[in-house]
Amino acid sequence: MITALLSDGYIWSIIRVSLYVSLTAIALSAVLSLPIALIVGVTEFRGKRLLNAIITTGMGFPSVVVGLLVLFAVSNQGPLGPLNLVFTPEAMILSQIVLAAPVITGISLSAIDSVDGGIRDAAYAMGGTRLDVAVVTIKEAKYGIATGILAGFGRAISEVGSVLIVGGNIVSDGSSYTRTLTTAIQLEARQGQFETALVLGAVLLVLVLSVNAIVIRLGSGGGRSR
Amino acid sequence: MALRVENVARRFGETTVFEAVSVTIERGEILALIGPSGAGKSTLLRTLGLFERPEAGTVRVDQTDIWAATERERLTKRRSVGMVFQEPNLFGTTVRRNVEYGLRVRRSWRTRFRDLVPVIGNRTPPQPVVNALSLVGMEDAIETPVESLSGGEAQRVAFARAMAYDPTYLLFDEPTSDLDPRNTAVIEDAVITATRGEIGAVVATHDMHQAQRIADRVALLLDGEVVEIGPTEQLFSSPQDPRTQKFIDGELVY
Repeated sequence: MITALLSDGYIWSIIRVSLYVSLTAIALSAVLSLPIALIVGVTEFRGKRLLNAIITTGMGFPSVVVGLLVLFAVSNQGPLGPLNLVFTPEAMILSQIVLAAPVITGISLSAIDSVDGGIRDAAYAMGGTRLDVAVVTIKEAKYGIATGILAGFGRAISEVGSVLIVGGNIVSDGSSYTRTLTTAIQLEARQGQFETALVLGAVLLVLVLSVNAIVIRLGSGGGRSR
Repeated sequence: MALRVENVARRFGETTVFEAVSVTIERGEILALIGPSGAGKSTLLRTLGLFERPEAGTVRVDQTDIWAATERERLTKRRSVGMVFQEPNLFGTTVRRNVEYGLRVRRSWRTRFRDLVPVIGNRTPPQPVVNALSLVGMEDAIETPVESLSGGEAQRVAFARAMAYDPTYLLFDEPTSDLDPRNTAVIEDAVITATRGEIGAVVATHDMHQAQRIADRVALLLDGEVVEIGPTEQLFSSPQDPRTQKFIDGELVY
């Protein structure tokens, strides 16, 4: 039964869409989040605590609300209307960026914040440029940053609300267009297709568990090759 | 050829650390900067180390007015000044990667990336790294991760890291205040050996005996003012300023 399901192109197309959407969203979130985390982490300015609070709030933002806001943004009347993104994988990427970026920023920020200022002074004193000092800071905070990225991935791949709203859970010709693991599970379960739902659930669990295993490994110190 | 500050002022908001301090360090000499905690020793060292721009006055490295120079010139001159801190401040990697750091940042990014690749990159430790480590007797620990070093060993590696790229001036901010006598002796000997090779060194210390052991000249900093500066012997045997006498006698309590 399970092997029959796994040889089904339908299941694989869902996994493919899920991974495409979430991996792309995480890559873009990381590119967006790390410079912010670095700048906020190493500088002192008025309002830093407020900004920290905003980022932390963003980490727990309800995904349905994000979905709704992104739907407004990409709808015909919205600022991104001309791009025609409603019910596309790209709209789902957008909403997952909004969900994952605060997680990545928040966790990386606290890792960068906790790098001793003396380390940065040392890099500067040895003749490092501003870029060299930034690189040293990132290296010192690398486990925290990796944890942030993986936690962001965990949030992105396992959320239902926003992808359902902006993606529409669409299948065409028996192959997923905007159906992800989570929205598929929700639909299959509602239609009484419990076996399919369970297989999809198992796939999602394995994905999330492997990511968490990596996070735990990194947290325990990790390798020492640099 | 000298490292020199002229009438520099440093202020942090409302607080003025010093108003107009002038000090010159010639190559080949050790200047001890003594004074009680809070006198401004660290701030003066950071000014000499070109960490922050002073609010007034000039900082010169070999005649070049650093804060009037171009960014590129400033970087070149800054790279002839090294600093060792009270804490080792080592990067979380191996001894070797730490000591190589100064050499590495002076290479092009292309070379730096290439050296990361095992087969084509140059993986043998550069001679300056080995030399700097042997100066403090740490050459056998070259591949050791820094987490497994003792506090004294870590500070010796920090010294080697500052020596490896051949600086012209070296600044020390209380380099031995956390160390046992043996490691203190290793660092002091290394400072003396280094200055024999044309390096100018400034050692901030609150240990007057250390100043007497290693310094050619001593400057006493009190409340952000250089009260007296002169040859070590003269300053300790016949101080010109009554406040110096008081400080030496331990009567100036802060």
